[in-house]
Amino acid sequence: MTIELFSAMAKSVVDGDPDKAASLARAALVGGVNAAEAIEKGFIPGIHEVGALWESGEYFLPELIASAEAMKSAMAILRPAAAGAGAALKEGTVVIGTVEGDIHDIGKNLVSAMLAANGFEVIDLGADVKLSAFIEAARKSGADIICVSALLTTTMLNQRRLVDLLVEHGLRGRFKVLVGGAPTSQKWAEEIGADGYGENAAAAVRAARALMGKERS
Amino acid sequence: MTTVTVLPSGRRIEARSGVLLADLLFEAGHPLNLYCGRRGVCGKCFVEIVSGSVPPADDREQRLLRSKNLDPDRYRLACRFPVAGDLSVRIPEPSMIPKTRILSSGEGREITLDPTVRKIAVCPARPDVHSPHSLLEGLKTGLGRPFLRVAPETLFATAAVLSGIPAGDCLVTAVLGDEEELRGIEPGDTTSRLFGVALDLGTTTLAADLVDLAAGSVLGTAVGLNGQASFGADVVSRLTAAFKDPVRAASLRDAVLASINALISELGRAAGVRAEEIYETVVAGNTVMSHLFLGLPIDGLAVAPYAGVFSVAPPLPAGRTGLRVNPLGRVYLAPNLQSFVGGDVTAGIVATGLPTRPGNVLFLDLGTNGELVLKTNRGLTSTSTAAGPAFEGASISCGLAAQEGAVDKAVLRADGTIAVETIGGGPARGVCGTGLIDLIAAFLRRGDLAADGRVLRSEKRLPFASGQALSAADVREIQLAAAAVKTGMRALLASEHLTVGDLDEVLVAGAFGNYLNVENAEAIGLIPRLPEGRVKFVGNTSLEGARVLLLSGRERLRAESLSRDIRHLALARDEAFQQTFVESLSFNEWPPPAPPCRANQEDK
Repeated sequence: MTIELFSAMAKSVVDGDPDKAASLARAALVGGVNAAEAIEKGFIPGIHEVGALWESGEYFLPELIASAEAMKSAMAILRPAAAGAGAALKEGTVVIGTVEGDIHDIGKNLVSAMLAANGFEVIDLGADVKLSAFIEAARKSGADIICVSALLTTTMLNQRRLVDLLVEHGLRGRFKVLVGGAPTSQKWAEEIGADGYGENAAAAVRAARALMGKERS
Repeated sequence: MTTVTVLPSGRRIEARSGVLLADLLFEAGHPLNLYCGRRGVCGKCFVEIVSGSVPPADDREQRLLRSKNLDPDRYRLACRFPVAGDLSVRIPEPSMIPKTRILSSGEGREITLDPTVRKIAVCPARPDVHSPHSLLEGLKTGLGRPFLRVAPETLFATAAVLSGIPAGDCLVTAVLGDEEELRGIEPGDTTSRLFGVALDLGTTTLAADLVDLAAGSVLGTAVGLNGQASFGADVVSRLTAAFKDPVRAASLRDAVLASINALISELGRAAGVRAEEIYETVVAGNTVMSHLFLGLPIDGLAVAPYAGVFSVAPPLPAGRTGLRVNPLGRVYLAPNLQSFVGGDVTAGIVATGLPTRPGNVLFLDLGTNGELVLKTNRGLTSTSTAAGPAFEGASISCGLAAQEGAVDKAVLRADGTIAVETIGGGPARGVCGTGLIDLIAAFLRRGDLAADGRVLRSEKRLPFASGQALSAADVREIQLAAAAVKTGMRALLASEHLTVGDLDEVLVAGAFGNYLNVENAEAIGLIPRLPEGRVKFVGNTSLEGARVLLLSGRERLRAESLSRDIRHLALARDEAFQQTFVESLSFNEWPPPAPPCRANQEDK
């Protein structure tokens, strides 16, 4: 029975149905299902499937956003109940934003939503974010990762400046840096000394996970 | 030094070791297609390495080559290939910039002839010992204009003509500019020879009219490519090239000047007009193009908040611009309305007489940037959307500009097959913007494609000609480009509390426009479906508007006031932007087709 509930949870996320996801989350709590288990065995597999569908080209922005919304509505209900086991549930804390001089927002918003849907705590600073604001927010929140988006070949230089600035402040070891945006690449990430690159929202989640894994070991 | 031999001609080019093969070939005069500005992402500059050492291609290049069915051991991207030793290469035809089709005439608009430069034949008052005035004062007296100002450079340039005036019968021609300014003096009566050039300075293409300023008639039109193409196809790659790099910026300026001057020479030769007879030039281009043309820094335009050096520039001395026209003439730039709504759009507003058209009118210039202006009874509102280069073929795997071999039309036949036409009629080498829209419409109708953009065929590819197919990722690119345009339209309408049905006219400008199949553009939701006749293609309004500004000083004043009066809608700052954008991604018609019973009512 619980197995059926879990697969219905996953389906509500794949279908991008926030109401259904919320009602399943509530049903789980009423039925005495462990909240942490509902998240990990029910909803998380759903968002993983969404990531796969996105990468195969089956899903596009609207589907991705709807699924992230569904995930959000379920998490809003289950998170507080799972608070006891919270530490284990949280993948990590991420500060994210589009760099100074760049007002492009949509791609970054997607990554932000997908990270949140995948269990990261996300502090989204918006677009045209000063480099110092990234660092300030990361320090305050004790973030694990700083995600920096740049959509123009001219503004991607600010990603390099962020890495340099972290080095200057002696903070390079404290935060991982993940870069993304249309003109960027794995090669660019390596060139500027960033820790990772996400070609799209799903890849960014994978990269963020990998960075957290590395940190734990 | 090493030697690169180009086959089949056998031409030998000396090369420094380490030089990019792409640069070497381009500079040696082979018009290699450097669409993406040598970033190695478009895969359009592949050459066959016939002999010589070939270091292995990296993963991305290998993928690109394989996607074109090219053997990575034989073919390489010239922009990824530093010359390391002697080589023989063959440049396949598809890797060259082919002849391009450009539009150069639109819907004419009547204006009152009021040029900012005139010629007047005059007999200067002669000095004598009783009235020992200077030769210039004598000219002013002859003209009956004692307070005539003399442009600084004119004094030097005309001194010889003045002092050479023979005694006695002494007709000369004064060239007078705006605000009672003496621009030049020519011996004899040359009043019938006064010419101007109107130029549409496009990112990809240039179009120019040679105009008889006295008669207001067009003597000839010439079109050509913007020579900056080797620095990249779109505005952002040009910005990147010139960003904080004055040397590269100067090269960009030289490149476009060479292209423009070639057009002016071509026009002059054909019409028998000498460069010195051209006293006025109007240039209409986007903000980046006009800055690069003048050699002004674009650094501010490259990052938010995207501030250019100027919006309205004073008429500039032609001699300072590098244009091959009379150096005493003036060059006027169509004013920019906003950083990304430039002089080309202003020219479009001027050409269509947008501010005085009745009702609610949407002006739409479809290019790499979709530029939109909405006219209502409350005035004009503009916005700019980053449609990206998909409609120009750049981000599409089999995409081409509107050039020979590009599929520019496609029709779904009754038997379910797709018939394509190519520019030039030869075999299909790829597809350009208009062809893309036709193809998407055809695949939607045939059920190969869902309205949300999913490819419904199991092989996830949409073949349309021998060896040519759209990929699922291509469809996504087109969705993004169309959604950007749609979002702009929707946001503009919302800002004025209007719906699509309130539009009395939609004016579609740009070369793309005239070849666009309206039915298909409506079917994929790129433009709203409106009652027949409301969507009008107005052609190259940038050139047309430049000509209006060339022929009328009053129109210039109006254009300049536009940049003060027009309202701007900053899309990215619009709160509903993301939601509108996401909703606009589907290929659904908008407004949605009305149910049949209601459609009947609306007919009457």
